[in-house]
Amino acid sequence: MQPLLRPLFYYLWTAPHILQAVIVVLMIRRRLYRQFPVFLLYTVYELLQFTILLAVFIHFGSLSDDEYRGAFLVGDAISSVLRFGVIYEIFVEVFRNYDALSELSKVLFRCATVTLLLIGVALAGSHGSGADGFLLVVPILERTVRLMQCGLLVFLFLFSRYFALSWRNCAFGIALGFGILATMELADYAIRSQIGVGSYLLDYLGMATYHCCVLTWIFYLVAPEPRTYRMQKKLPEHDLEVWNEELQRLLQQ
Amino acid sequence: MIITLVLVVVAFLVLGFLIKLARGHSASFEALEDPTQHIRAVDVDAFRNLVDPDEEEFLRANLPRAEFRKIQRERLRAAVEYVSCAAQNAAILLRLADAGRRSSDPATAEAAEKLVDNAIRLRLYASLAISRLYLGMILPGAHISPVRVAESYEQMTRLVVLLGCLQYPTRGISAAL
Repeated sequence: MQPLLRPLFYYLWTAPHILQAVIVVLMIRRRLYRQFPVFLLYTVYELLQFTILLAVFIHFGSLSDDEYRGAFLVGDAISSVLRFGVIYEIFVEVFRNYDALSELSKVLFRCATVTLLLIGVALAGSHGSGADGFLLVVPILERTVRLMQCGLLVFLFLFSRYFALSWRNCAFGIALGFGILATMELADYAIRSQIGVGSYLLDYLGMATYHCCVLTWIFYLVAPEPRTYRMQKKLPEHDLEVWNEELQRLLQQ
Repeated sequence: MIITLVLVVVAFLVLGFLIKLARGHSASFEALEDPTQHIRAVDVDAFRNLVDPDEEEFLRANLPRAEFRKIQRERLRAAVEYVSCAAQNAAILLRLADAGRRSSDPATAEAAEKLVDNAIRLRLYASLAISRLYLGMILPGAHISPVRVAESYEQMTRLVVLLGCLQYPTRGISAAL
């Protein structure tokens, strides 16, 4: 690592996690843990993971390759599972108020998950040649997971958009943040699976993306909910005829 | 290498889509300042006529085969336009009804709830009906009867009027309905 970039590295490593502590506080104060318990769990988990890694880093100075890989694999696996949980949680939250769609959305969610898994597995055979098995296998696995997450979120956005469903700010913000994260990480791991080696540029890009996502979550958690629609304008006179006709028909039912 | 490139391009396209969504998230509420501007006229009777099997049979019996296929395609294209209009209206009404559901008045909230269900059902039927209409364009002889869309639209229209009455007793929603 270049000495000039060292402060940037420490900033991008620590700042998002400090901001995640703010998210935890915001969620508790606004009682959002009732709607998004998995997201709160994910945030707390990321915070805890960072705290442990920071403590280890301060105490030992650095980690050996094997220790780092072990910690990375376990930590990342748990994080990925939690992210799927958050995506499902957003699904449930978005369709909760729409009885006509709740069953259909669950079926389609499962179908989309299986389809994306199959696509990910089919693409897993495509990778570059790296000297290190760890640096080759992990990006391929990560790429598959990110592809699934990205696809599920796009599906969620498109499906809800088609039905013109209204989103609460916090649900939209959480989904948007995860969408940006999954998208950027998909590109990141696709490149890593091809080059088969680590890259400082990709590391910085990944950390900066995560920082942006945490800021997105905070922004949408703090932002007030959009005001409820109220009709302001008076309609033309001839509308009254339609009103009367329709009301007559309604009364005759 | 090609798959990597494809994934990177897809990732950036999705990112663009997400950014567009984020920009539109707040704007979508502002767009409903005056819903009547966004609601388009839908003539249910005309639509029924376009997808009427008897009408189709009549045209088939009285027109040369080539002309019938041409006219039938035109009719179905017009029917698609009608269904799309109805579906768009349903989307706008869904937003209106969403706001109505939070009403403290139980009658308004109930009417809004029904309207939401109907609007969603219409969007579902519309997507299926459009697929079938396009299939009918490819195979003009195929039996098409998306009359359920028309019925659903009429039902929804009545509900929105009821909702409008309950929410805004001195105002209307739209003559276009």
